[in-house]
Amino acid sequence: MQFVLQTLVGGIGLGAIYVLVALGFSLVYRTMGLVNFAHGDILMVGAYLAATFFISAKIPFWVAMIIAIVATAVIGLVIERILRPLENKDFDLMLIGTIGFGIMLEGVAILIWGTTGEAVPTPIGGAPFELFGIFIKRYELVVVIVAALASLVLWLFLDRTKQGIAMQAVAINHEEATSLGINVGRSNAIAFAIGSGLAALAGGLAGPILYVSPTFGSSLGIMGFSAAILGGFGNIKGAIVGGLLFGVLYAFASGLSQGYADLVAFVAFALIVIIRPTGIFGESTVNRA
Amino acid sequence: MILKKAATLGIPLVVLFVLALVFPYLVDPYTIHVSNVAMLFGLLAIGLFLSMGIAGQFDLAQVAFLGVGAYTSAVLTLHAGWNFWPAALAGVVVSILVSLLVGIPALRVQSHYLAIVTLGLSLAFTSLIVNLPITGQAEGLSGIPAPVFFGIDLADDYLFYYFGLALLILGIAFAAFIVHTRLGRRMRAMRDDFLAAAAMGTRVPVLRMIAFAFGGLYGGVAGAAYAGLIRFIAPESFSLANMFLLLAMVIIGGRHSLPGVVIGAVGLIFVRSWLADFSIYAQLGYGALVVIFVVFLPTGIAGIPARLVQIWRSRRIKESAGGMAVAPYEAFAVDLPGAVLSPAEDAPVVLQATDVVKSFKGLKALAGVSLTVREGEIRGLVGPNGSGKTTLFNVLSGIHPPTSGSVEIFGERSTTTPSYRLSLRGVARTFQNLRLFPLMSVRENVMMGVDRTKSRWSWRYIVRPLSVVRADARMRQEADEILERYGLLTLAEAKPSELSYGAQRRVEIARAMATRPRLLLLDEPAAGLNGDEVNQLKAIVNDIRATGVTVIIIEHNMGLVMSMCDRVTVLSTGRVIADGLPEEVGQSPEVIEAYLGDDAKLEKEMLDASGEQTEGTVR
Repeated sequence: MQFVLQTLVGGIGLGAIYVLVALGFSLVYRTMGLVNFAHGDILMVGAYLAATFFISAKIPFWVAMIIAIVATAVIGLVIERILRPLENKDFDLMLIGTIGFGIMLEGVAILIWGTTGEAVPTPIGGAPFELFGIFIKRYELVVVIVAALASLVLWLFLDRTKQGIAMQAVAINHEEATSLGINVGRSNAIAFAIGSGLAALAGGLAGPILYVSPTFGSSLGIMGFSAAILGGFGNIKGAIVGGLLFGVLYAFASGLSQGYADLVAFVAFALIVIIRPTGIFGESTVNRA
Repeated sequence: MILKKAATLGIPLVVLFVLALVFPYLVDPYTIHVSNVAMLFGLLAIGLFLSMGIAGQFDLAQVAFLGVGAYTSAVLTLHAGWNFWPAALAGVVVSILVSLLVGIPALRVQSHYLAIVTLGLSLAFTSLIVNLPITGQAEGLSGIPAPVFFGIDLADDYLFYYFGLALLILGIAFAAFIVHTRLGRRMRAMRDDFLAAAAMGTRVPVLRMIAFAFGGLYGGVAGAAYAGLIRFIAPESFSLANMFLLLAMVIIGGRHSLPGVVIGAVGLIFVRSWLADFSIYAQLGYGALVVIFVVFLPTGIAGIPARLVQIWRSRRIKESAGGMAVAPYEAFAVDLPGAVLSPAEDAPVVLQATDVVKSFKGLKALAGVSLTVREGEIRGLVGPNGSGKTTLFNVLSGIHPPTSGSVEIFGERSTTTPSYRLSLRGVARTFQNLRLFPLMSVRENVMMGVDRTKSRWSWRYIVRPLSVVRADARMRQEADEILERYGLLTLAEAKPSELSYGAQRRVEIARAMATRPRLLLLDEPAAGLNGDEVNQLKAIVNDIRATGVTVIIIEHNMGLVMSMCDRVTVLSTGRVIADGLPEEVGQSPEVIEAYLGDDAKLEKEMLDASGEQTEGTVR
């Protein structure tokens, strides 16, 4: 019981990161129908930027995070601008294009930071809380709170602001949205920028928990993507529930057998997709079999 | 035609072959080693070409198949003491089996979903080999014995080169054979439009699994050979980075072209080895190339000549616009003795739909439709937009199973029969929005209809390859006869997008008739046609019926419906509101109500529909 609860707590901490990754994926997907395979690498660059400013420049962690978010948002804008000719035409090609960007970003990261990777110290120290014999790390608690706040802000933005509602309109029907005078290109660019910013937020927060290296983004990206599908691709609720579920799934897989965690998690994921391709909350806008 | 093509291809191929044979005499050992690796990557890339480029399955586990082949054969030679060849064979078999498992999600999801699932599964594979003691964990396996081929020790890179070359040539030849015959044609059709492919008799789920099996076959062969060549394997050789490198090879070379992917693979391996000291710049370079190709040249290097030809040809076509026109349709069947000119009173029932209900997430598109159509009839199906006409066609042709109710076609229960099987039974259809296979020629589109074989037939590729070639030649001839009859023969080599809208509509009818149906479902065949084309359509449909085929036609052009159909069924909000002779139906108050109603949009449609021409918009 102790083990189950402790693993659950760890899974939620990890899951909060997946939620942020999944949110970024989902936002871009629901707005422009694109799966951004560079998302994981954008995340990695964001994590490196945050870590570098935090460790080397001795800037407070939160400020370093904001710098990283802004910088990656700019990277997102550049990617979106270059791939814009393919928008709403060939999604598979666009997807491969983002893989190309991912390859480049990884190369850039290796050029700047080398291949060895970096351990980021926890910005919030102190002994973990103890609750009924279960330990909760202070930093993980902060991560969960930040993820919850980010989800709330994103939801308010999409549901309560003019630009957010315009982006939803683009998601539903980009042709109709154009005829209503919505600038689809700008809407897509904003989605991509916010998505990239969310990636940097996830990466920056993950830095002190995981070990930052040029390849840590791709596995975190695939997990966030899987989480998004698990919940139901393209909706916020799905990203949150899917992220937490995948975090817990992964935590238990690691708890049972550290080395085989990837194997267990991804085979389980494949099985879930076979049984329920649309995820928990479903998604109705893509071409499935 | 094929022979002529072979002759023009032949001379450069022979030159290339001779060059490949003397190549080892010209270069140093390091280059030969790189060449060997390049050839194996060429094989691997062909696997991805078949599954992704030809069959459209977004498979990102191809490098894992390489790993499965390599590890299986290495473990069997090292731990079980097997000889290289049986171990290699086992590697190929295991790799194919794994590819079939990895392919199962493809039965449920496609596109990016499939990409992420297969990518996740290849991570799972890496996790497995890093942890299993038998695979040497992170250190990998070393000391794998080199293959010995009838006393020739292939440990020598120069000798291995000829073995690799033979494998590559065999691999290319087999892939070319697949792509250009019926299996490849069906895979390409499935890639272009799997619903239309299914409506032409293609069993899509089986074909998707076959596509993955090809990935596994090529991955397994390359993997087993790789273990014998490098004699040391480690997990990082099968990492995501290498998967993306392979993807880059296929995209840069041209994912729809066999020579393209081989050139891409060989080229990128050589470039990588030249830039070995600057590997990170090489990575930046091929990442950038992927982006550039995707945006500016999605057909890759292989697409450059075709692009140039296209520019040249489109200019030429503009000069002689008459060259691409459809020949007028010559009616023939209505004058033949024994032609069916109207259905017999007591003709057998061809189609019997009883109380068919179809709901989509609470929306009832069909609310209990019953329909009886007799052999030799031309039945009109009309109704306002959203009345459920196309949904009814989708249910009848097996695309959607109904929520409740039953369908019987040719006296056989077919309520839940999938569309490929209905096609083989003799039900053909066209689509409201035109679903031709865009990347295939007009002739190949029609050949998809001519091809009536079942999936089981594919065993002939292994057992009787010659009969495959012969059958293909026959199919081609039959397709040309049909193209001739429909006045399309001059357009046989063109892509659908190069044709006028009316010509595309006619190709779709020709493709449906190529299946030799007994029941033909036409979904708004006159939409977007001009007056002359509508008259030709009428002649075509009358001819089709004259040969004994029953026709059901959805149409908004009331003039056409009234003058051509024996009976008319009117749908409104998912129900049949009238069914009878055209003149009876036209006077039914319910029908007038449904069309004129209180909705201004419907009123406009009635006006459109009563005119000689339909609205030109494609919905």
